Order: sequence, then C-alpha cells, then structure tokens
Amino acid sequence: MTPGTLISILLLLVPGIASIFYFRNIRMATVAAAALDEILSVLLFWIMPPQGFFFVDRTTDVFIFMITSIYLLSSIYSLRYISDRNATGLKQPTYYLLLNLFAVSMLFSAQINNYGLMWVGIEATTISSALLIMTEKSEESLEATWRYIIIVSAGVTFAFISIILIYYSFGTLTVSTILSAGRTNTLFVRVAVSIALIGFGTKVGVFPVHTWLPDAHSEAPSPVSAMFSGVLLPTALYVLYRIFQIDPITSLFIWFGTISIVAASLFLGYQARYKRMFAYSTMENMNLALIGIATMNPLGIVGALYLLISHSFSKAGAFYSSGSVLRSTGTKDVANVKGIAKKMPITSAALLMSSLGVSGTPPFGTFFGEILILYSMVLVNAVPEFIIVVIFLVFAFVGINLNVSRMIFGSPGDNSEPGRLMPAVSLVASIVPLAIGAFFMVVNNAIL
Amino acid sequence: MNYDSIVYLISASILVSAFYIQGQRYIMSMIRGQLVQSVLIAVASFLLAYLESSTDLLILGLLILILRGVLITYMLETRMPSRKSYVFEEGVNVPYLFLVDLVFIVIAVFIIYSIIFSSLVPISQPGNSSTLLFPLLLFFQGLFLITSRRSTFTQIVGYVEEENGLVLLAIFLLPVPIIIEASVFLDVLALVVISSVITVEKATHERMEELRG
Amino acid sequence: MLTLILETAVQFIFVILSAPLFAGIFARFKARVESRRGPSIFQPYYDIFKLLKKETLVPDGSSILFRYVPYVAFGVYCLIALIIPVLIPVPIIFTASADFLGGAILFSFAAFLKMAAAMDSGSNLAAMGVSRLASFNFLGEGALITVFIAVSLITGTDNPYTTNQYLVSNPSANITLVHVFATLAFFMIFLYETGKIPLESSGLQELGMIDESLNYEYSGRLLAVNKWSSYIKQYLLGSVLLNVFLFPWGLFSTSPYFLLDIPVMIGKWLLLIFIVMIIETTLAKVRLFKILDYLAVAFTFSILFLLLSEVMH
Repeated sequence: MTPGTLISILLLLVPGIASIFYFRNIRMATVAAAALDEILSVLLFWIMPPQGFFFVDRTTDVFIFMITSIYLLSSIYSLRYISDRNATGLKQPTYYLLLNLFAVSMLFSAQINNYGLMWVGIEATTISSALLIMTEKSEESLEATWRYIIIVSAGVTFAFISIILIYYSFGTLTVSTILSAGRTNTLFVRVAVSIALIGFGTKVGVFPVHTWLPDAHSEAPSPVSAMFSGVLLPTALYVLYRIFQIDPITSLFIWFGTISIVAASLFLGYQARYKRMFAYSTMENMNLALIGIATMNPLGIVGALYLLISHSFSKAGAFYSSGSVLRSTGTKDVANVKGIAKKMPITSAALLMSSLGVSGTPPFGTFFGEILILYSMVLVNAVPEFIIVVIFLVFAFVGINLNVSRMIFGSPGDNSEPGRLMPAVSLVASIVPLAIGAFFMVVNNAIL
Repeated sequence: MNYDSIVYLISASILVSAFYIQGQRYIMSMIRGQLVQSVLIAVASFLLAYLESSTDLLILGLLILILRGVLITYMLETRMPSRKSYVFEEGVNVPYLFLVDLVFIVIAVFIIYSIIFSSLVPISQPGNSSTLLFPLLLFFQGLFLITSRRSTFTQIVGYVEEENGLVLLAIFLLPVPIIIEASVFLDVLALVVISSVITVEKATHERMEELRG
Repeated sequence: MLTLILETAVQFIFVILSAPLFAGIFARFKARVESRRGPSIFQPYYDIFKLLKKETLVPDGSSILFRYVPYVAFGVYCLIALIIPVLIPVPIIFTASADFLGGAILFSFAAFLKMAAAMDSGSNLAAMGVSRLASFNFLGEGALITVFIAVSLITGTDNPYTTNQYLVSNPSANITLVHVFATLAFFMIFLYETGKIPLESSGLQELGMIDESLNYEYSGRLLAVNKWSSYIKQYLLGSVLLNVFLFPWGLFSTSPYFLLDIPVMIGKWLLLIFIVMIIETTLAKVRLFKILDYLAVAFTFSILFLLLSEVMH
C-alpha cells in the first residue's frame, strides 16, 4: 500500500494502541500517542493517500493537524488537571481511554471517503465524548451529559435522512465520486443539503439546535471543553462542508450563520459564568467559519481555514486558563473572580491573549480569518448579512473582553498558580495564534 | 394476492405501537412496546425481501431483530431497578398529550411530506410514495416522546423510536449498504449502553438553574 | 311502491319491537357465562310493561322539559331507525331525511336532550352523571362523527347504503387501512355509548353512573320510555357497526326476501353479542379518569387514519 494510506491508517491506530496500556501507565502512553499523531499529521501534508478508502486533500490536512494538535495539548494538560481527587464520575484510566477513542473517531470522520461512514464517525464521537462530560460527577454535569446525548443524537439522526437522500440520488456514497460528478440540481439533493445543515449543524452550533453547547462546555472538565471547541465542532463543520459541496445553497447557509451569530452574541452578553461565555464565543466563531465556507469563494474558504485553526488554539488556551482559574478560585462565576493578575501572572497572560484571540483582535490569526471572510461576504453580495455580522461581532468582542478584564484586573485576590504545567500549556496554546497571524502577514507581504 | 394492503397494514401497526408507547405510564410497558415495534419492522423487512427477492433486506431484517429487538430490550430491562413493574412516571396526562401529539404530527409530517417526499419514488413494492409517510410519522413521534416526557428511560425509548423510523425509511426507499446499516445499529446500541449508565444516576430531568440561558 | 311501504313498516316495527330482545339475550348469555341461571330473554319486555303500569312521579321543581323529553328522544331514535341501514340494505321512505353525518348529529341531539332533562330534575346524582357524560362526550362524539366521515372516504359518498354495497361487492376493500381502523375506533365508541364494561358497569351490583344516571329521577311511564330508547340506541349503534363496518354481507333487498333479513340480523347480532360478552367477562371496569384515555385513543385512531387515507390517495 502507498505510504499515504499507511500514514492515514497509522493515524487511526496509534491512539488505539495507546489505549491498550489501560492497566499500566495510560497517561504517558496517551501523551506519546498524541505526539506521534502530531508528527504523522505534519507528514500528511507532503505524503497524501490516494483517493480510495481515504479522501484527504489540503483542506483535510488542516483539519487533521488541528485535531492532533489539540489532542496533544489536552492530553498534556490532563496530566495535571484530572487527578483522582476530582475525577469522581470516571476513573482516570477510563478518562484517557475515552479521550483516545474520541480522537480516533474524529480522525476517522475526517479522512474516510464515504458519507455514510462519516455519519457513523460523527455518532461515534458523540458516544465517546458523552461520558467525558461527567468526569466530575454532579447533578449539573449529569444533566448536561444527558442533554448533550439526546439533542445531538436527535439532530444527527435527522441528518441520516439526508444521507439516505444522497444515496437515493447518486446511487453511491463515496465522497470522491459524488464531488467529481458535477452539480446536480434536483430537489432531493437540495433537500438533503438543507436537512444536513440542521442535522450536522446540531454539532456545529447552528441556531436553533445549539442548545447543548453551553451546558456541555461549562460542565465538562477544561481539557474536554477544549477538545469540544477546538476539535469536535470543526470536524462536524468539515463533514457539513463536504455535503455542502454537493449542491451549494449559499444564501441559506449564510442566513443561518448570520442568525446564529446574532443569537450567540446576544446570549454571550448576559452570561455570568466564564465557561459558558467562551462556549457561546465558540458558537459565534464556528458560524462565521460556516459563512466563510458557504460563500464558495477561495478567499472565504481560506479565511475560514485560518479562522478555524487560530480559533482552535485560542479557544483551547482560553479553556486551559479557565481551568487553572477554576482550580485555584473554585468558582465558575465571573463576579467572584477578581484581580488574578498579581498572583497568577502566567495564567492571566494566557487568558488575556486567548480572549483577545477568540474575539478576533489583530495581530492574532483569527482577525485575519475574519477579515477574509467578511471580504468574501461582500464579494458574493451578501451585504445585509455583512452589516449584521459586523455589528454583532463588535458586541461579542466587547462582551468577552469586558468580562475577562474584570476577572484579571482589579484589586488582587490571593490565589496562586496551580502548579506549573497547566499554566505553561495554556500559555503555549494562546501564543500559537499570534504565530499564525504573524505567518499570515509575512505570507501576504511576500505575495503583495 | 394484493400485497399493497399488507404492507400498509404492517406500517399502520408499527404506527399504532408508537402511539401505544406514547400513552403508557409504566416504563416496562414502554420497553415491551418498543420490542413489538422492532419486531414489526423486521417483519416488514422480511416481507419486502420476499417481494423483491433481495437478500440485503433479509440480512437487514435479521440484524434488526437481533440488535434492536433482542439486545436493546435486554439492555434496557436489566438496567431497571429491581421492582420493575412498578416504575411509574408521574404527572403524565395522556389524553392531553395525545391531542397535542396529533396537532404536532399533522403539522410537521404532512407539511414535510407534501413538499418533499411526495415526489420520491421508492423502489419497494407499493410503488407509490405514500409508504414513506409512515417512517416520517414514526420519526416525529419519537421526537415528540422525548420532548413530552421527563423520565430518562422514556427518552431513551424515544430515541430508539427515532432510529426505528430511519431504518424503516431506508427499508422502504432504498436500502443503504449493509456495512453502513450495521454500523448504525452498533452506534445506537452503544448509545443505549451509555445512556443506561446515566440512568443509574439520574432518572428524571427537571429545569436547572445553572444550566439556563 | 307497495314493497317500499312494506319494507319501511317492517324495518320500523322490527327495530322498535325487537330492541329489548337483544338486551335480554345479552343479559342471559352473560349470566350463563358467569355460572348463574340468569333472567329470561324476554325480561326487558316484562320490565317495560311493569313500569308502564306504575305510578309516574316527577320532582317538584321540574318543568315541561323533564316530562316530555323522553318522548321526544324516543321519536328521534325512531327517526334514526329509518335513516341508517339497520335492517334493509336499500333506502326506504324516510331515509332521505338525513345522511350519515346527519344521523351522527341526531345521536348527539338525543343525548343532549336527555342530559338537559336530567339536569332539569334538580337532583345531585343526576347532575353528577350529566357532568361526567358531558366531559366524556366531547371526545366520544368527536370520534363518532369522525368515524362516520371516514365511512365516506371509502366510497366518496356519505350514504351508508352505498358503502354497504361497495363493501359487499369488493371484498378487498375490507382490509384497507381506513376501514380497519375506523372499525376499531367505532367499536371502542360502541362500547362507550352503550355503557359496557370496561367503561361503565350497570346491572346486578351497581347503577352505572355515566349513562344510566340520566334515568335516575324517572319513574313509571317515563322510565319505561327512557329504557326503551336506550335499547333502541344500542340496537342502532350495533347494527351500524355490523352492517357498515364489520360484517356487511348477507342482507337481501328484493321482495319478498327482505323478510329473510330479520333472521339474518338476529344472527349477526348474536355474533356481536358474543364478541362483546367476551370483552365484558374478561375485563374489569377501569377507573373513571382512564375513560378519557380510552376515548382519546379512539379519537386519535379515527382522526389519524382519516388524515392518512386522505394523503395516501
């Protein structure tokens, strides 16, 4: 078999092998597996498998890189965050096992060349991630887990109807065959794509089926939230993108994206808990990326990719620093966290940079992604949506940064840094988007 | 022999079982009702397999019988607390729910059906598209069951009912390849297992202060 | 013309005179199944004659309504007896007075009259019965009317005679979806309207408090007329169930063979009594609030399959 196919298969097998160490040191095995996967995904940029069982092109590469990077960061962060004292719902080895399965299912969904199996992969991500939410057992986390399972499964089940319709129209479910078959404008294909928007959009965070998002993100432990925001949602967006390519209904997708951004900004405005706030920010960013993809304009798609990858790192950094804050202050409310700048310098720096990153501040990579997407919106004459989106992006920006600065600055409390590993990871995660932004400017200056 | 009416009758019986589940207050009866439903779907699959001489549908029917009918019922039954037949759900007002159910279904299903599905031509025996009404009804009935009840078990049964609706759609319209169907079944099974882990801890779902907004 | 008059007379007299007989047969069968000897099958006739000879008392505050409604209700039921195919499968003289839907509404009208009269008596128990009856009837009447409309979906016309002939000549129409489920719904409504277990138990041990309670304040001649109306109503509903839904075969329409219809109807009724008796003796009366569940199910069946059959054509 070709080296490309070998790499793809290895990507899937490695976390699985790490899980065999369940009874021994699965923690280190997981970290090693994640590191190995990261190297493999970088290799995938140059050695791609041919289109047969797997379907990998440049876009897929970006997503796979995202998945493995956040997987690596989360597994390192979990080493310190998840300890026997607070993992009451799951035992530690089970947590790592589920984390590995989660990563495998997402890598599977991203690479496989069959819509039906993509659907199976997405369902598998629900299965493996559901139990992760209730790692710290409490009444709220159980309720959040249950809502996640039911809402997401109902939505994804609805998406299966679109898979059936696709099969009915084309006679096959292979992605490469369908995409190269050219555009067919029958009613069924349109209906299939629209149903997929609602169905898979449940996982992406499209209004009105986004309701599981804030609950799951706020109740799950921080590394899991980072994986949700940074990996799960983009993977679902990737699957939606592949279905969208069959018959692009640009205006429908752009309108749904706009409405979701409006909803996210409005909800974000009155959140009193910082993790929920970041969850709504994820929803907003995902929908912005959805709009960028929906414009079917090269600028829009590139912008969406920049946005997604910078956002994954920023949001992961935001959740990691929130986790450190939670560990040392013990509260989830914004109002009860004051002035952590003095005693927790690294965490505050990471938190500040991450929140600037997710709200789209220059020179972070998210800003450049947003600019490209907004520009492509104007190019496809989506002017009313453009105006609405800009207004509400400003709202969201103000909302997030106001809350974060309230938390960081002000009269100092007396918390202390919880160890050194967790802040370090969060700092690394929040600096990467800066690097991406810098990379973007260099590339553009070189071209322009 | 006119097979059309038999297919319609089986589909209607599946629908009746869905309404039976909707009207139940006792959880055991709901689980049994779901068993009946899965068996009826398997029967429909066998019937269509015979009519179209397709072995795919035969295997599908067997899979449904084993994975849905036997395994899921077994899983659900073993997770119930020991005094099984007395597990009762409080505050369920059946006639009111039935009436709301009717309204919901009429609006959702008939509108969707007339816009979209009436132009589909299924491969299976009664060659008109009206058989597709039943899977759609089943799907929305499952959705309504989830939204109208508060007990975890009921919501699991509602989810299985939704999946049953999808399987029925695949059987009537065009059977999706077996690999995919088998994976779907295994997925559903895993989901039921996971859900049953949760039901041990949490049996009802009320509104929660912290998860609002 | 002569045949027509003869048919009308036969149907009218048969329905009115034989209605109590079926109630009597039913009571005796049920007693036999329960290992009792049971009353004679003509017992309802003896009861009616006895009541006709007794003194009629009326409550103090009641008005004309109370005293004359029994006769009016009896008259309504007699009119219905000429509209629907209870004996002769072809239309007779007064059949065109109302169609099938009109028949259903006439049933509701008679029930309403009886309820108004019972309320007029001013008695507490009658008022309780009326309130129960009214709250259950809102689902029951809805289901009844829907079922009668469902009949028209099979043939495209509201005429039960046409439906009867259609079902006789196309046997496969009998297992269409709308027909099967309309039959089920109508059977459930039949059990409710005639006050059988599992909905209402009246007779040996207790006085059923839904339908029977309407008769609570009546005595003497008025009570006799009321009881007779109930028997006629039971016969009418059962015959519609048999002739239009369950078992449309076996009726003759030409002269003089229509006289053979009498034994045929008796035979069919025996079948119906047998089925109802199995249900009565195996089930127990359900609690009052569950009657609403039962009626909701009947209503759901009838409406759902009405809509389904509309969409499927």
